[in-house]
Amino acid sequence: MMDKWSRYVPPGFGLKRELKFFTAGATCAFVWSLAFFFRLYQARKGLYILEGAEWILSPEAQMPDFVEILDSSLAGFGVVAASAVPWILLHYLYHWQGSRSIYLMRRLPDSWELHRRCLTVPLAAMAVSLAAAAILLLIYFGIYLTAVPKGCLAPGQWQKLWRIFGM
Amino acid sequence: MLQISHVSKRYGEKEALRDVSLQLSQGEIVGLFGENGAGKTTLMKCILGLLAYRGQILLDGRPIVKKSKARLAFATAEHSFFPNLTPEGHRDFYSWHFPEFREKRFRGLMEFFELPIHKPLRSFSAGQKNQFEVILALCQGADYILMDEPFAGNDVFNREDFYKVLLGILEPSETILLSTHLIREVSGFIGRAVLLHRGEIAGDVSMAQLEDSGQSLLDFIKCTYRYEADRVSKALGELAGEEDGE
Repeated sequence: MMDKWSRYVPPGFGLKRELKFFTAGATCAFVWSLAFFFRLYQARKGLYILEGAEWILSPEAQMPDFVEILDSSLAGFGVVAASAVPWILLHYLYHWQGSRSIYLMRRLPDSWELHRRCLTVPLAAMAVSLAAAAILLLIYFGIYLTAVPKGCLAPGQWQKLWRIFGM
Repeated sequence: MLQISHVSKRYGEKEALRDVSLQLSQGEIVGLFGENGAGKTTLMKCILGLLAYRGQILLDGRPIVKKSKARLAFATAEHSFFPNLTPEGHRDFYSWHFPEFREKRFRGLMEFFELPIHKPLRSFSAGQKNQFEVILALCQGADYILMDEPFAGNDVFNREDFYKVLLGILEPSETILLSTHLIREVSGFIGRAVLLHRGEIAGDVSMAQLEDSGQSLLDFIKCTYRYEADRVSKALGELAGEEDGE
């Protein structure tokens, strides 16, 4: 019997292999996003000055904005999401490679079969990537707010955050 | 009955089919003949709904819709299977989409042609791929099986086997439309011959009629196409003359 999930990839493609590629991409994107912590550490360190043997908070110190610290930390997820486009193309092109299985797909009584198999996984991967980026954005923002000493935070962080989304 | 009425198809400036009308009754085995570019493949693709066309194609008096699509099967020399999938995977795929899939026939034919069931199709030889393509078309459970040059690349013994198997397994309700250039070979297998020439029906004759007239299928085709048997010798003669003249 046909595996329930294999019905969402082109026949002969293998869902496991597809998920493996996505997991690898998402892992790379996550590791890349960890650069946020390095930038946060550096910026936070810049708030302090050494007085004698002690690090004290500089009186005029102000933390750079969250969006500056974030920089391109989440860009990897954008790349993974954007890879859905060539991924979809690859799925469709498969039906012209080595044979013309497109003839069979177009003859099927279920006319959505071709699109379901070509679109589902890449679009799901795109959605998961974007959702992961959104969740990490909130987590990193929370960490930023927690890590920055009171009084060093520039006003209007939320508004600046919304500006990322063009709002 | 499959009724093709006044079907025309253009590829830009080129007219691939011109006002083709044809009827295929259930149980017929029809050979479709014609020179390269005569429109055989185009006609089949129009019947299958793979190409847009002018005219009308009806299946039992009704247009071919989603539900009735499964009544048509197709085997093509271009192959329509999935190269990365195994025959077993194809069996599951077909059973899922075509409820009339003939599992027993599939098993029997796979065994007869000794095709491996667990290897992906891409590892098959050209001949095996052709065999599998035809097996799938025969097992889909369709009433009308369209075959476009299905044996191109198979050896003569293999083709012979196939004709015998086909005659042995086909049920009275199954109709075959077979496009091929192997005229002599299929003459004992088909019941009717349809000739296409430059996109038009040039001849339509039953094998019984040919038998009565004492004409062979090949002669009928040559006669219909006004084939000049001495064309080659004339051309060679002219070429030789030109060389002598130089």
